[in-house]
Amino acid sequence: MAYGVLLKCENLCVGYGAVRPKRGAERPLSLFEPFSFELHAGEVVALMGVNGCGKSTLLKTFAGLVPQVSGDVFLDGEPLQAWNARERARRVGLVRMSGTAPDRMTVREFVGLGRSPYSGFLDGRTAEDERIVDDAMQATDVACFAERPFTELSDGERSRVFLAEAVAQQVNVLLLDEPNAFLDIPRSHALFRLLKKFVGMREMGIIVSTHSIEYAEKYCDRIAVIDGGCFRVAPASEARTLGLLDWARDE
Amino acid sequence: MKNRIWFCFGFLFLVAVSLSFCTLATGPVWVSWPDFFSALFAGPSAEVGADSITSQIIWRLRVPRMCAAVLAGTSLSVAGLALQTVFCNPLAGPFVLGISSGASLGVALSLLAGFSFGNFGVLGAAAVGASAVTIIVMWVSGRFRNVGVLLIVGLLLGYLIDAIVSVLIAGSEAEALRVYVTWSMGSFGRMLLDGVWVFALAVAAGLGLVVVSMRYLNAARLGDDFARGLGVRVEVSKKCVLLGASILAAACTAFCGPVAFVGIAVPHLAFMLFKTTDHRVLVPGAALCGTVLCLLAGLFPVSIPLNAVLSIVGVPVVFYVLVRGSRTGWW
Repeated sequence: MAYGVLLKCENLCVGYGAVRPKRGAERPLSLFEPFSFELHAGEVVALMGVNGCGKSTLLKTFAGLVPQVSGDVFLDGEPLQAWNARERARRVGLVRMSGTAPDRMTVREFVGLGRSPYSGFLDGRTAEDERIVDDAMQATDVACFAERPFTELSDGERSRVFLAEAVAQQVNVLLLDEPNAFLDIPRSHALFRLLKKFVGMREMGIIVSTHSIEYAEKYCDRIAVIDGGCFRVAPASEARTLGLLDWARDE
Repeated sequence: MKNRIWFCFGFLFLVAVSLSFCTLATGPVWVSWPDFFSALFAGPSAEVGADSITSQIIWRLRVPRMCAAVLAGTSLSVAGLALQTVFCNPLAGPFVLGISSGASLGVALSLLAGFSFGNFGVLGAAAVGASAVTIIVMWVSGRFRNVGVLLIVGLLLGYLIDAIVSVLIAGSEAEALRVYVTWSMGSFGRMLLDGVWVFALAVAAGLGLVVVSMRYLNAARLGDDFARGLGVRVEVSKKCVLLGASILAAACTAFCGPVAFVGIAVPHLAFMLFKTTDHRVLVPGAALCGTVLCLLAGLFPVSIPLNAVLSIVGVPVVFYVLVRGSRTGWW
């Protein structure tokens, strides 16, 4: 199943305050124990854990938006910080559902922003860019409302538009932060099927944080869990027997 | 969509050119057409015989006036557009950063309190005041990551400066006060031919700083984290845009006085005309809209204050466009 290693981390410690420690805090706040992990091309990894355990922070660290407290992250074999901002944006993309809704922007314009890391000095777009934007909108089923203003969309439609933008960005490593939070059940199934299709077709690796064990077990190749200050990962079929899902029990 | 954009550009450009021509051809003194063209093509230095008066009128009064209107329209609109985008706030404009208040303070100190700014007079005083506020604003923008703080600091600075100016006004002579109030009403008529180059250079520098941050401007509405995810160097770009907008606003305030209306209204006008959020279209589009509006206002008699004309001409236009826009579902 695995082709190559897209994203790799060694003894990674994730948290806040790595650059500017807050006054009073002796050292940077780290959210859980150091861990090592590899994301391969062609796999979908579910990231699970209780609220506030550090799922979003971990995804932000992988996307280069939050500096790690200690340890190393490698993207395509190079340290994450060694990539310049634009090169990095062509390889890793983080999709969040809680972004601000830009007023006056149409869906097409928003998805077109995904081509920004490839554009030149004046942010121009080529015919090739337009084609990729069209493809991304087709693939995520948003082409039918391409000309509608973003602010008029429902939450579910917005989720797909956020995803379309990342697809247009043509990243190898796609990080999704609770993409099915606003989606109905059929759409959630469709989303995870789409993710499976992407990793097969486009040689991507996907990490998706979700609270739904059902989708994680059904559609993802591996399940990673942050529980009790530890990061653990196991194949999706064995996660339950290995006790990775114990945190989800109601006690 | 593309056709619409090109049509708007063409239309605005034609209107701007014909308004520029009207600015040159009309005025309190009537100049016959042959005299007008011969003086225009003879250049600014030709002062031969009976033509010299005509030449003086055209080159000393009307050409600087036209240039002032074009440059003021461009600089204020682009500064307003850039600030509205960076602050994600439709009410932002060159005035909220306190830049024109700074210029007012410089001028008030020079005219009312008798501080001398060397040989540069009112112009120099305005430039010094505007630059001082710009430096404070840039320093604050480096210390705080949240742009909202910057907005508050700009407003607070504006209030503080207004208070100082009103203290100065209370203790000043009637004649000095009259000069200050005339300055504060704004005018394109104070421009001198020699000053046009300075103004044009400042506008070019400001525009350059805004244009190199094009990728940031297009992503800025989605927030800093989103822009970072697109590979935009947010901190550098934001400083570039703020500095560029400050230079544009400072230059315009120094040469034309505190012209309030254009910076806040024209970006909305440009949005409604071009119906896009792509700043590659909006920056030149807003510059053209601002130019047209300022040229139009410049055609009114000099005796009416520029700020009053701009608001009287501009508010109905912008209001009409907004109401029409809301009917077509674009607001």
